[in-house]
Amino acid sequence: MAYPTDLFGLSGLWFQWLLLLMVYSYVLYKETPAYRFAEHLYIGITMAISLMVAIGNVTRIAIRPLMAGEVIYVIPLILGFAMYALLISEYRWVSRYPIAILVGAGFGLGMRGVLIPNLLSQVISTIRPPTGNAPIDWFTFVYVAIGTICAITYFLLTYEHTGALSYPTRIGRWIIMIGLGVYFANTVLFRMSMLAGRAQFFLQVLKIIPM
Amino acid sequence: MSGESILVKLQKIDRRYLYWILFIGLAIPFIRPIGLPIAVTPSTLSLYNELKTLQPGDVVLLNEAFGVGGIPECMPATAASTKIILRQGAKLIFVSPYVDYQILWARLQELVPDFAQKEYGKDYVFLGFYAGLEAAVAQLGANIRTVFPTDAYGTPLDQIEMMKNVNSARDIRLVLSGDTGDWCDYYIRQWHTNYGTPVGEIGIAMLGSSYMPHYRAGVLFGMSVGSRGGAEMEKLIGEPGSATVTMDSINVSHLLVIAAVILANIGMLSARGKGGK
Repeated sequence: MAYPTDLFGLSGLWFQWLLLLMVYSYVLYKETPAYRFAEHLYIGITMAISLMVAIGNVTRIAIRPLMAGEVIYVIPLILGFAMYALLISEYRWVSRYPIAILVGAGFGLGMRGVLIPNLLSQVISTIRPPTGNAPIDWFTFVYVAIGTICAITYFLLTYEHTGALSYPTRIGRWIIMIGLGVYFANTVLFRMSMLAGRAQFFLQVLKIIPM
Repeated sequence: MSGESILVKLQKIDRRYLYWILFIGLAIPFIRPIGLPIAVTPSTLSLYNELKTLQPGDVVLLNEAFGVGGIPECMPATAASTKIILRQGAKLIFVSPYVDYQILWARLQELVPDFAQKEYGKDYVFLGFYAGLEAAVAQLGANIRTVFPTDAYGTPLDQIEMMKNVNSARDIRLVLSGDTGDWCDYYIRQWHTNYGTPVGEIGIAMLGSSYMPHYRAGVLFGMSVGSRGGAEMEKLIGEPGSATVTMDSINVSHLLVIAAVILANIGMLSARGKGGK
């Protein structure tokens, strides 16, 4: 992306830069009117775009075919409108029908494809030893095998975690904590990437680094 | 207060100082790059290798399931993958369940100059936004035209040359899902399981641990994780881009976070050792 040269592009770029400062003023200084302005602007614009996209989508998928004579599309439209009954306490029960259909369809579709990739493939992958002789592959295999067994034993809640179950459950707890630590570290990593992107943009607008 | 040791004071440091240090620490490597080496992980290499097997005429579905916030993490690998797809002569279908889809499409075109040598409707198509979560993904697999009667510009799919013989998941060679959430799961469950369509993942960093079991089980043919994955893909295609530039900055940020965690823990342990809480 090249540095804009026209007035429209430049004003857009500098407005973005100012909004960035306004938003970061909250964490780098304190809550300011500038931050509140940026926050409200963001929410307003996001809602407006979402609304327009949703209306466009419904028009494209249901209303146009309905207008073209495909009467079947009246059903999803009625179900969609029924969702708004949530807002009227007297007719809230009407919204249960579309919600029931959504939940039912979600469960049905999810269950259809969940067994093989989420269960069977995972079990096979866990018990199948690596084909190569690389030490890291064997270490991973042993770690995953022991980790899986110990983590499962931790959730054996019908037995007291003493005696023979004492060590596996302790190891299982450590494995779970390490796993959760990895999740959290990856979450931090994602935020850092976002922040790095903004820091880069900040410098690019000031022409300290090329765009 | 004056009697407190420096380690105890470190626990009470105003977090705004830490944010300032972090922001400045992130910015410096952009001005003075460190150039730390980037090793390619097996999951990214698998993604690259599978994309390199694409044949002219193969159709790839690119699902961009992230908002503008996910661009630094997902877009570099997406751009590198798109370059491979187009250079292999494969055809590209772009879809997105995010309302930011037009921004994503515009950014992708900016980052991939190969689009200029390709023809819209013949080599690639922009179908745009779809709603409906897993149900929509299932329906896309069964019949693309029921979810996208037209492309994003309103042209009926039957009038688009490359879409004439593309009706369902069976006509798609592979799916590449750029994710900040569960969308790859939907494609695994609805496309890979039901139609055998290979699925690859370009995810944000926090999805790395979520999808690694799928990759190790062979459910995903490859996986790029976060900016790091993007930098690896850029290295593999020999075109350093935004992720490569960002990696130094991210590495510095990690070192700062690790330093902050260590200092805070030393302070806490020190205070505990002196009978503090």
